[in-house]
Amino acid sequence: MTSTLPLYPFAAIVGQDKLKLALILNIVDPTIGGVLIRGEKGTAKSTAVRGLADILPMIEVVENCPFQLPARDTHVVCANCMDQFCLNGNPAIQPASKASKISVVELPLGATEDRLVGTLNLEHALKTGEKRFEPGILGQAHRNILYVDEVNLLDDHLVDVLLDSAAMGMNTVEREGVSFAHPARFTLVGTMNPEEGELRPQLLDRFGLCVNIEGIRDARSRVEIMERRLGFDRDPWRFAEEWSNESAALSRSIQKAQMLCPDVATEKAILQRIAHACLKLGVDGHRADIATLKTTKALAAYEGRINITPEDVAAAAELALPHRMRRAAFDGAAGEVIEEIRRTLQSCSPDVE
Amino acid sequence: MYPFSAIVGQDSMKLALVLNAINPSIGGVLIRGEKGTAKSTAVRALAGNLPDIDVVADCPYSCDPGDTKSFCRSCRTREIDIRRRRVRVVELPLNATEDMVIGGPDFSASIQKGVRVFQPGLMARANRGILYVDEVNLLADHLVDVILDVCASGENAVQREGISHRHAARFILVGTMNPEEGELRPQLLDRFGLCVNVHGAQDAESRVRVLQYRNEFDGDPERFCIGFQESDRLLATRIARARSMLPSIILDSDLHTLATEICVFHNVAGHRADIVIGHTARALAAFEGRSRAARQDVLRAALLAIPHRSRTSEPCVEAEPEAQRSNSPGQTRKPTVCPDEYPEEEPVHAPRRNAHMDDQESGPFQRSVLRADLPEAIFDIGSIFKVREIQHVSDKMFRKAPGKRSRTRSGNKKGKYVGSTLRKNSDDIALDATIRAAAPHQVNRKTANDLMVKINEEDIREKIRESRAGNFLLFVVDASGSMGAKGRMMASKGAIMSLLTDAYQKRDRVAMVSFRKQDAVVNLPPTSSIYRAGELLKELPVGGKTPLAAGLRKGQGVLRNVLIKDPTCRPILIVITDGKANESIGKGDPFWEALAAATELASDRRVKSIVVDAEEDGSFRYNLSARLAKVLKAEYVKIKDLRADVLLEIVRSGV
Repeated sequence: MTSTLPLYPFAAIVGQDKLKLALILNIVDPTIGGVLIRGEKGTAKSTAVRGLADILPMIEVVENCPFQLPARDTHVVCANCMDQFCLNGNPAIQPASKASKISVVELPLGATEDRLVGTLNLEHALKTGEKRFEPGILGQAHRNILYVDEVNLLDDHLVDVLLDSAAMGMNTVEREGVSFAHPARFTLVGTMNPEEGELRPQLLDRFGLCVNIEGIRDARSRVEIMERRLGFDRDPWRFAEEWSNESAALSRSIQKAQMLCPDVATEKAILQRIAHACLKLGVDGHRADIATLKTTKALAAYEGRINITPEDVAAAAELALPHRMRRAAFDGAAGEVIEEIRRTLQSCSPDVE
Repeated sequence: MYPFSAIVGQDSMKLALVLNAINPSIGGVLIRGEKGTAKSTAVRALAGNLPDIDVVADCPYSCDPGDTKSFCRSCRTREIDIRRRRVRVVELPLNATEDMVIGGPDFSASIQKGVRVFQPGLMARANRGILYVDEVNLLADHLVDVILDVCASGENAVQREGISHRHAARFILVGTMNPEEGELRPQLLDRFGLCVNVHGAQDAESRVRVLQYRNEFDGDPERFCIGFQESDRLLATRIARARSMLPSIILDSDLHTLATEICVFHNVAGHRADIVIGHTARALAAFEGRSRAARQDVLRAALLAIPHRSRTSEPCVEAEPEAQRSNSPGQTRKPTVCPDEYPEEEPVHAPRRNAHMDDQESGPFQRSVLRADLPEAIFDIGSIFKVREIQHVSDKMFRKAPGKRSRTRSGNKKGKYVGSTLRKNSDDIALDATIRAAAPHQVNRKTANDLMVKINEEDIREKIRESRAGNFLLFVVDASGSMGAKGRMMASKGAIMSLLTDAYQKRDRVAMVSFRKQDAVVNLPPTSSIYRAGELLKELPVGGKTPLAAGLRKGQGVLRNVLIKDPTCRPILIVITDGKANESIGKGDPFWEALAAATELASDRRVKSIVVDAEEDGSFRYNLSARLAKVLKAEYVKIKDLRADVLLEIVRSGV
């Protein structure tokens, strides 16, 4: 993502509030577990994800560290890191760190497995006769956003690898003569067009949130979209400049939410509400509950509150539950599923407490 | 790390893990369960609760200083230091290559010394520890074979790339899997001493607790862990005590008899189950501080050891250990771990609302007879079963072992790198293997430039890749009025649903064409969304005449498009009909038209066809489907023949 041309600003996307919200909440709390964006062609899916780069906050990383580790985290991996840039194996030395922006790392569909997980560094092997691990995309993705366009078309064996490391938060490499493990905790963002086939449920469950988006039907907004796009195409720099204030404001409120998020109070009643709803909706396992809670907290924080309202839970559930419900009706009937979630939450509310 | 004792519920999983920690001879645990049920968390957390072990310092195989007889070669010849360390959890990633798992030549050492040096692999690291395979059912077959081998012998014998080496490799094998993604090979299944099924908590109280703990853990992991330190420590000491007690635990001979009786009752293969029950019962007694194993220990052990081995029914999906345990002690009846009335394996994708799930054969049939006279009706999906294997047999390249339906050695640089070969037919070079091959010769070779490694032509190794591309399944379904009779449609829907479930697990793509009244329609264009197919199937109505020819022509069109897009694809055409064609496209006889269409379809050798006869057995039969099958050069089966347990591979040998 090092294009010199500015990207279409995230703040300038018309409508698609749910999509934007889901992405923002994932920045506020990266442990929510990513977003799956399902929708037809030409609905600003990719634009929104790429545009995120604009508003992403800074994180502290060790300089030249291939895994973007924070300074206090380094000792664990660096002991056997084959690129000993930072410590040279000496834990006493404090590595130099710098602030760096969270980036969007793309996984192209045609990627080979060795590029994804990392492989033997050939040049090093031939020059020195020593083994060295060359980090792959999963290495770059640690603490960043991993973006898979058309994730439903990803090769099966790549999906397995993704699942593995998404589950563990680690990428364990045992191949081609190198044995290496490094942390790989990333926010997984995928887009897909359901017409092209569905995702495996196992991978589906790894996405924290899921949004179904449609083209905007309202004529005025459609005009707005066209105008903005034309404006952008005419002079991208100026367009980005015009929106820079908005972008900065958004970025600020995300940062504020990040600070606030740990302080959001989680009362037992809220937990009960979530648990009851998940139980009634018949979701698999507990990941749904946890994702809903995290989303609820992030949402409250994003709105500048430290108390959770029932509306927060409802909004969070609409993002975190649809793709996890056992009844697989989310094909084309997304509206129905959302409706069911709403009803269930309502029915859960009065009798609790 | 999330503390072991902070895991809410999941008692049988925790128990199984603890018992293995007490008595490693039990032989590991397989944890089967849906997504997000703390499977992986538990395994990781377990290691923290195990007593530390003494190892020879710097020994790659973690030799036991107390057991000099089984020392590795290098430990035998040198002075050893003893080090105490935690038990290791070694993870086997799904994409591991074989040389890393069993070990292979170490090229950097080889270059320096000019001889082949063995580099220990995962098996060496796992010795005396835990080998953990997440999603073990997705593990590539060649790795499964290796692990089976090592598990069986407790030893890893390496014979590859000029290396000959053997070392001890005894470990606790722990695997997790989500059965939705496909089953394990029975051979590997049997290697796991115990098997537990886990579910998400179904009561609100525990769910809230899960949520609360997780929330606290995410908020401040350190403080959370301190809160559970005490209970974790207690558990650790209990395990340590049980371990020391274990050798003296007595298992009476009448309990041995009980264990064998249980095994015989469940018709398990071989004797491993008996042995595992014995080990587990003793570990249970030790864990509870008793010097003698009791009857209830054996029964509880059986609940963990039998489900995946029982052959009285499919691998038990939902054994309810808790419920059974409470009423089993003191009772004299034989413990049935898998209730006998349990229906055949219930695919998780089967729509839950299907009311006839529990009905046996006769149920749905009788029910639908009442509705047979309706002009148009939607039938429920009949009983769903596990289908036998269907493969493409015409093409040697395309079949080998039950992988994900058809495994293929791909030559187009796509797919998983599984090994290397000397053969040269592509430019897909396996760099690591090439360097390994060249390494021992470097001492005698001079490099022209500043490179350390000089590679000659004869060192070149190429990658063997394997892709698991699924097949394409086209269903051509007869939805005419005659199919509504005598429960044909319900049984057919059950058969299709079963095939769909199977298709999902093998990552096939599917499409569906149905024909009724005057015409055929493509209900489902080629897709990998099996869900969608299932939903469609549920709503597929029945009624009207039977334009069989139109159905076949439509199917032909779909196949043609698929083959144009992907010429290497080997589609499987499944025609489900009773064959009573009575509507033609043109003016000809409907059935003759159908046969003509079939002849054309049969001329394409790339398509394998199966005709599923929906006509039930009886005294009066038309046998039209059989004729169709003959012309189509298709395999002819009845619905009941599709069942995995009835007939195995009827055609495999014949073709």
